[in-house]
Amino acid sequence: MTPHSPGTGQINTLIWIGFFAALIVVLAINLGLFGAIRRNRGERGRVATQPRGAVGLQWRVAGVLSGFAVLLFVLGIIFTSNATSTPQTTSAGLTSYHGEKLDGPLVIKATGQQWIWRYNYPNGSFSYYKMVIPAHTEIELKLASTDVIHTWSVPDLAPKVDAVPGKNTKIFFRADAEGEFWGQSATLSGQAYAPMRTAVEVVSPARFEEFIAEQQKDIRKGNEGAEEIEAEKAGEEEEGEAGEAAEEGPAEESEESIGEGEGESNE
Amino acid sequence: MNEAPRPEIAIDGFPRRRRWAWMDFVTSADHKDVAKILMVGSGGFLFLAALELFLMRLQLAIPENTFMEPYTFNRVLSLYGATSIFFFVLPLIMGIFLYVAPLQVGARGTALPRLSQIGGLLWAAGAVVLYSGFLWTPSEAGVNPLPPLSELAFLSNNGVDAWLTACGFATFGFVLISIDLATTLQVDRAPGMAWRRAPIFAWAANVGSWLMLFIGPVLLAAFTMLMIDRNYGGTFFADGGGGAPLLWQHLTWIFYSGAYMLVLIFAFAAIAEIFAVFSGNELFNRNAVMISLAAIAVIGTLAYMQNMYTAPIGIGWKYFGMLLSLALIVPVGLVFYNLIATLNGGVLRMRAPMLFSIGALVMTSLGLAAEMQQSLVGAAFYLKGTTASTAATSFALIGGSIFGGFAALHYWFPKITGRAMGEQLGRISFWTTALGTLLAFVPLALAGWEQDQVVDAYKFFNHTGVNFYNLLSSIGVLILLIGVILILINAVASVKGGARAGHDPWGGDTLEWFTVSPPPVHNFDVQPDVRSALPLRDIRAAIASRARTAEERAARESQPVA
Repeated sequence: MTPHSPGTGQINTLIWIGFFAALIVVLAINLGLFGAIRRNRGERGRVATQPRGAVGLQWRVAGVLSGFAVLLFVLGIIFTSNATSTPQTTSAGLTSYHGEKLDGPLVIKATGQQWIWRYNYPNGSFSYYKMVIPAHTEIELKLASTDVIHTWSVPDLAPKVDAVPGKNTKIFFRADAEGEFWGQSATLSGQAYAPMRTAVEVVSPARFEEFIAEQQKDIRKGNEGAEEIEAEKAGEEEEGEAGEAAEEGPAEESEESIGEGEGESNE
Repeated sequence: MNEAPRPEIAIDGFPRRRRWAWMDFVTSADHKDVAKILMVGSGGFLFLAALELFLMRLQLAIPENTFMEPYTFNRVLSLYGATSIFFFVLPLIMGIFLYVAPLQVGARGTALPRLSQIGGLLWAAGAVVLYSGFLWTPSEAGVNPLPPLSELAFLSNNGVDAWLTACGFATFGFVLISIDLATTLQVDRAPGMAWRRAPIFAWAANVGSWLMLFIGPVLLAAFTMLMIDRNYGGTFFADGGGGAPLLWQHLTWIFYSGAYMLVLIFAFAAIAEIFAVFSGNELFNRNAVMISLAAIAVIGTLAYMQNMYTAPIGIGWKYFGMLLSLALIVPVGLVFYNLIATLNGGVLRMRAPMLFSIGALVMTSLGLAAEMQQSLVGAAFYLKGTTASTAATSFALIGGSIFGGFAALHYWFPKITGRAMGEQLGRISFWTTALGTLLAFVPLALAGWEQDQVVDAYKFFNHTGVNFYNLLSSIGVLILLIGVILILINAVASVKGGARAGHDPWGGDTLEWFTVSPPPVHNFDVQPDVRSALPLRDIRAAIASRARTAEERAARESQPVA
């Protein structure tokens, strides 16, 4: 995991805090255990002489452990609330949209279905498998599922979150670097669960506006000549490279072109 | 009226009925026979679970492997989940509890033996259902069959029904056994054995039984609702029609978290007995350990929401889950502290039970420390659903069940069979299993943490940086499988071929060592009065002092009178 958003930076820090806490625990237990074993190995003729555990000693140990737990709890709350706080769009981000000023986050809807992610953009266009977002912009990702529980996860950009049918969830994040980031669903969702991956392409705000405009045009064209495109797509699919093909085309057709060319059908 | 008084019990042996010995065994209501069915069965299912794990790791040894079809992998995965939890871990624990705890408190049998008998048979029926379901279309819904995936709309064959029936029978069996056990431990303790004098393992059996009484029915309710959904058009978990898929997660995680705690309580208590006996010491502070074990049961089960950090529940509930998970640090830490402190000043005998106990502490310390890391909500936003979380759970549960369970089995095997388990093979199997476990799950933890490898996936992709980790892990699971086979061979061979052990091979301090090995149907000819937490030590001291008095008297009498 290489964090590329303010939230995942906090998550990464918390993971390291947890790791060092775990390291302390493991070292304390095992050094204590093996030290005690080494000191008390059986010797012939020695008689066991046990120090007794006074109640006060137990309270002291419990006190130290409580302090440790409280510390972790406080750190956990601080970093978790930082990680889930809504990041503001910076000046380099998408500040206006279609000539109008963008107030608040850019809302994108992610819908999980067996076994691909569909992303709906504000202008009515959509894409499969890959989500394109502008950099330095606050994104509100609304999650929904049409069938079973899927977990949306792109670890470099945002926290994991379940898309549960009948429940609407949302997360906020902001990508601070351009590039392509991939993720994989993390809840067993049926046969093609393993290849149910997703990608997020972070582009400049200008390129983003271009992209969704193109996408909208393509979809309109696709709807008009759907049959023609369907025939074309069938030819494309035989050559593989379904992952790229999955970006375009209406929903009914893209169902089959699951990312990474798995081509599992849902029976 | 000068006849001799009639004896109280006037039976000259039972009338001999013509049937096979095994029929006597499986229809026996004696707690020891029921426990043996559970223990022997769970040994077999340990082998199957390890084999299934190995098959899955074989598929995941190289990237984009085509050894298994996706649906085959999901079937093996679902089978592995049921086998490992309901047919290996829990019956092993309930079996050892049911065998040992009544003996430890000096009971002449259990209070409600027929309940245990039905429980054992229900469990066996569940096992039959699960593995005959394997002949048709097994469940593909995974370790915990989350609706809607496990609903009829998505898995329309009868596999999920078989899975639910099998695990439901088993759980119902455990609940019945728990009723018997809790009652026995409450009313049938030997005279003088207040709880403050009861052996720590019997206390753990009591806590564990009560825990199962709370969590078992919750799971049964969830199973019933899903069965209604699937077969009678219910909408408990179906989205639309007012159903809530999340309800299933709440109910089942209560059970799974409780079962996790049951494993820990069982292992810690067995290790407490073993550490005390093999160091010649007493448990460092009994009360602290007893309170801690009960606290682990309560807090750990209530902390079930730490499994739902990515689910759409309020952030407040996630913090609540984190609070309770982190609160577990105190009782678990106290138990670790007292176990290690028990060794201080002792004279350690490094026999096989001791080795397995140490292995169990090392493995559970790794697993629980990693669980602590993942109980931080923010950290779980990344680590949950990765193989890092599988590794943590596996370390804790393998540590508790395989290492802790076989520490207990090595320790009580002489009581159960009259013979000791082979020491040499015990050592070899221990080191093999320990090496296998470490090699299997440390790479998986790294793959999950560094590269976000996800759980339950039937394949992983090349060029995602996890090839080497997965290969190592598969080799580790192979070694683990060999270790498990060695343990089982050792146990099976020792039943007939082990060295005769006598009734108290380890110099134990608790009452189970007071009776002969294997114990008779009525457990004890005489129920001793208990005056401390170490009744056998008292009895030995009494015998020694009586022998000394006798010697002194003999010495006095042999003095010349002059």
